[in-house]
Amino acid sequence: MSEARIEINDLVVRYGDVVAVDGVSLTVGQGEHVTLLGPSGCGKTTTLRAIAGLEEPSGGTIRIAGATVYSAAERRNVPAEKRGISMVFQSYAVWPHMSVFDNVAYGLRVRNLPRDKVATEVERALDLVQMRDFATRSAALLSGGQQQRVALARAIAFSPAVLLFDEPLSNLDAKLRAEMRVELRDLQRRLGVTSVYVTHDQEEALAISDRVVVMNVGGIEQIGTPENIYNRPKTRFVADFVGSANLIAGRVRGGASRPGVVGFDATGGMGLEALAGHAPTGREDWVAVRTAYIDIATDASNGRAGGMTNKIGGTIRQRLFHGDFIQYIVDSPVGQLTVRRPPTELFDEGAAVTLSFAREHCVLLEG
Amino acid sequence: MTDIARNRSLSAHSPESRWLPSSQGIVTGAILLFCGGLVAYPLVYLVAESLNTSGEDVFPPAAIGLSNYADLIDDWHVLANTAFVACLATVMAIVIGFLAAWTLTRTKLPGRPQLERLMELPYYMTPLVGALAWSILAAPRTGFVNQVWHGLGGGGDLVDIYSPFGIAWVMALFEGTVAFVMISAAMKSMDPALEESARVMGAGKWRTMLTVTLPLVMPGVLGAAVFVFAEMLGSFAAAFVLGLPARYVVITTAIWQAVQSFPPDYPRASALGIALFAVMFATLGFYRLIIRRGNFATITGKAFRPRTMAMGRLAWVLFAACVAYIVVAVVLPVATLLLTSCQRFATVILSQSQFTLANYQTAFGFGAVRSALTNSLVLGVGVATVGVPVMTVLVWIIYRSRAPGHGLVEYVVMFPQAVPRMVFGLALLWAWLNIPIPIYGTLWLLALAYFTVLLPLGMRTLAGVVLQIDKSLEECARVCGASWFYQLRTVTMPLLRPGIVAAWLLVFIASVRELGVSIFLVGPNAKVIAPSIVSAWLSSSSELSAALALIQTVAIFIAVIVLFRATRRYSQERA
Repeated sequence: MSEARIEINDLVVRYGDVVAVDGVSLTVGQGEHVTLLGPSGCGKTTTLRAIAGLEEPSGGTIRIAGATVYSAAERRNVPAEKRGISMVFQSYAVWPHMSVFDNVAYGLRVRNLPRDKVATEVERALDLVQMRDFATRSAALLSGGQQQRVALARAIAFSPAVLLFDEPLSNLDAKLRAEMRVELRDLQRRLGVTSVYVTHDQEEALAISDRVVVMNVGGIEQIGTPENIYNRPKTRFVADFVGSANLIAGRVRGGASRPGVVGFDATGGMGLEALAGHAPTGREDWVAVRTAYIDIATDASNGRAGGMTNKIGGTIRQRLFHGDFIQYIVDSPVGQLTVRRPPTELFDEGAAVTLSFAREHCVLLEG
Repeated sequence: MTDIARNRSLSAHSPESRWLPSSQGIVTGAILLFCGGLVAYPLVYLVAESLNTSGEDVFPPAAIGLSNYADLIDDWHVLANTAFVACLATVMAIVIGFLAAWTLTRTKLPGRPQLERLMELPYYMTPLVGALAWSILAAPRTGFVNQVWHGLGGGGDLVDIYSPFGIAWVMALFEGTVAFVMISAAMKSMDPALEESARVMGAGKWRTMLTVTLPLVMPGVLGAAVFVFAEMLGSFAAAFVLGLPARYVVITTAIWQAVQSFPPDYPRASALGIALFAVMFATLGFYRLIIRRGNFATITGKAFRPRTMAMGRLAWVLFAACVAYIVVAVVLPVATLLLTSCQRFATVILSQSQFTLANYQTAFGFGAVRSALTNSLVLGVGVATVGVPVMTVLVWIIYRSRAPGHGLVEYVVMFPQAVPRMVFGLALLWAWLNIPIPIYGTLWLLALAYFTVLLPLGMRTLAGVVLQIDKSLEECARVCGASWFYQLRTVTMPLLRPGIVAAWLLVFIASVRELGVSIFLVGPNAKVIAPSIVSAWLSSSSELSAALALIQTVAIFIAVIVLFRATRRYSQERA
């Protein structure tokens, strides 16, 4: 997070009458890995393509490594090939008419590097993705995972200032995706390259990023570290889209005007203690509670709930066994709540239970 | 680690703007101007001439009026003939095309892939060659079929090809392939799950066919019918060879007669031409509408492997029908031409025939004929070699560029498709007669004309390949630091190579067989083969014209074989 490598200010991208990106501002620091996360159509890919120079914005500025590459005011738009960036495409875009070596060497050859330099850099890049043995193979004969690695090697071979990823793992099967996640994170740390990553997979975003930018309908909802986004969602959209959360309607109690613990009257008359990350205005009407942060106790087992500040009685309506966790749907005075517990905590459908959660896990939403 | 990138890329942070004319923008503008001029300029002359009521052939006309159009009413029988023949031929072509398409996409048939390839062959027989062959085969009295009939003791004529039915028959044999290709494309793009779900819901084979298959394929069939109808309206060769002996005149032959009469009646020809153009334009507009409307479930852009049905013994009947079509449309005409061209007088009674190679000696030895052959080959190679790279850039601009005006380029370059060849030839004739640049009567004008009228063909072929190339393959090159031209050279062109080869061959083939435009533009020093076949036919030497037609067909078929090889290798590489 030292000096800023990418600065985006008030970026607007229009397609005819449709505003795909509406006033996005964002800074990415040197060596930082930032992920744009959001549902399809939220403008994340368009933002990435605007950084790459593949999409022409209609307003704002983009600076890469201190140089203005796009500015509506200055009428400047540096073409993609002159931005010193690199990109891994969703479809990999591995050229089928070239060998693996030629694919990876492309960016180096464009820059007219001497032959031996090209050879060593390609080898280095292929080593990094463990594809050295495939150098002479025709790119048309690679599997999906191998193409992914070649695309990655090609993107890093010419040591770009900035690396962009457009949903690079979305075409892989689940198992391979999980493996590549680990490798990508590792590679990104080793190279220390500044990168912007686009995905709609919240799990992926949380796992591999230094910071996550949650986007919705062309704008930014929230920027923060993965833990911050998960634990302190600011909006209903973030709470709902990232991880799984219960949204409880009600009204914040008057009086509090500083961040901290506030009272919250849930619809149905129940009083809760919540945590406000911002100075409450008195008009907030939602709190969010992560499904993983709610404890369940039967009246019989009545144990650990003791220290929790918020307690709600309810009845288990449905139990879904997921393997890694069990999901309970619980009818309660504040509405239906979803609770995820480890598979060791088994309760019967229809059982009367007490739900409890700490006030720091009951987050007052800004809007 | 960023030093390489910094060396190269950051030096480029000099101000650079897309608002300044980019290389793409300049190229787009130049192309719009050039192609727009090529297409629009002759048509302006044609419209002006059609309004010319002064009785003198000057430009601009001394007096302007609509009387030429009013006179079209006197030609009502010509219009009626045109409509009648076009309808008849369309119906026949669609029947052929539909049956063949259904047979070859939906039934289990022995040798299906080979048969599918062979079904394309009739398209490469030109209507002129087909008409010549069929007139030798089925002319009253002298036709081979009637000769045999008389030989067997039959009275009168068994068949008479010099009739509207004859014209429609020859045209339908030719256009049947077009219908086949279009309809089978529609059938292949239908998700078999749509039919399977009908079956699962309990509908039988025939009920599924009637309630699901037919309604989904209908837009494709209708589109093919309208497209074929438009082509029929503008077709010349069959009506010329088979209609004129029976004094059966359609619009295109009426135009030809008006120009050939003495003195030439250009205003009448122009008015007829503009009228034909208007009808064809409207028909093709209707076609586009159907294609767009019909887009609903069937066409997802994805090709499916349709489920095929086992037909039992019926399979052999269908197989025989497909083979019969190829025999009637290709084998029989070629055999007829071969036999005729090797005889002094055309006859099928072999005991009477005098075999000779004199016709081929004339073809290769006689100056005018030989130069026509050479010119056609030179033009074919030249237009394809110069034209296809230009078309490639055009296609790229239409589908990939974001330079202003790229959408307009498509309308301009596809426009010649809506102009009947005859009419465009007439327009070019009139336009270049009236301009001081001395290229009328030279090969240069022919080359320019071929390039213009073949633009849509080349563009369509290339577009099919461009659209298959994932856009990010090109974007990735840009991101890696390649300029537009570098990207075109290293990524786009190599990926397009199969399409470029196919387009080159198709443009070559189309040039070598071109008739409608050429017939007005050939001069004493610029003869090409198709009009020479027509002249040989007019001077009533069916033997020499058969020899010429066969030479043309052989040249085309050699190109077709190369084309099939090239595209097959391509599809194998892709598989």
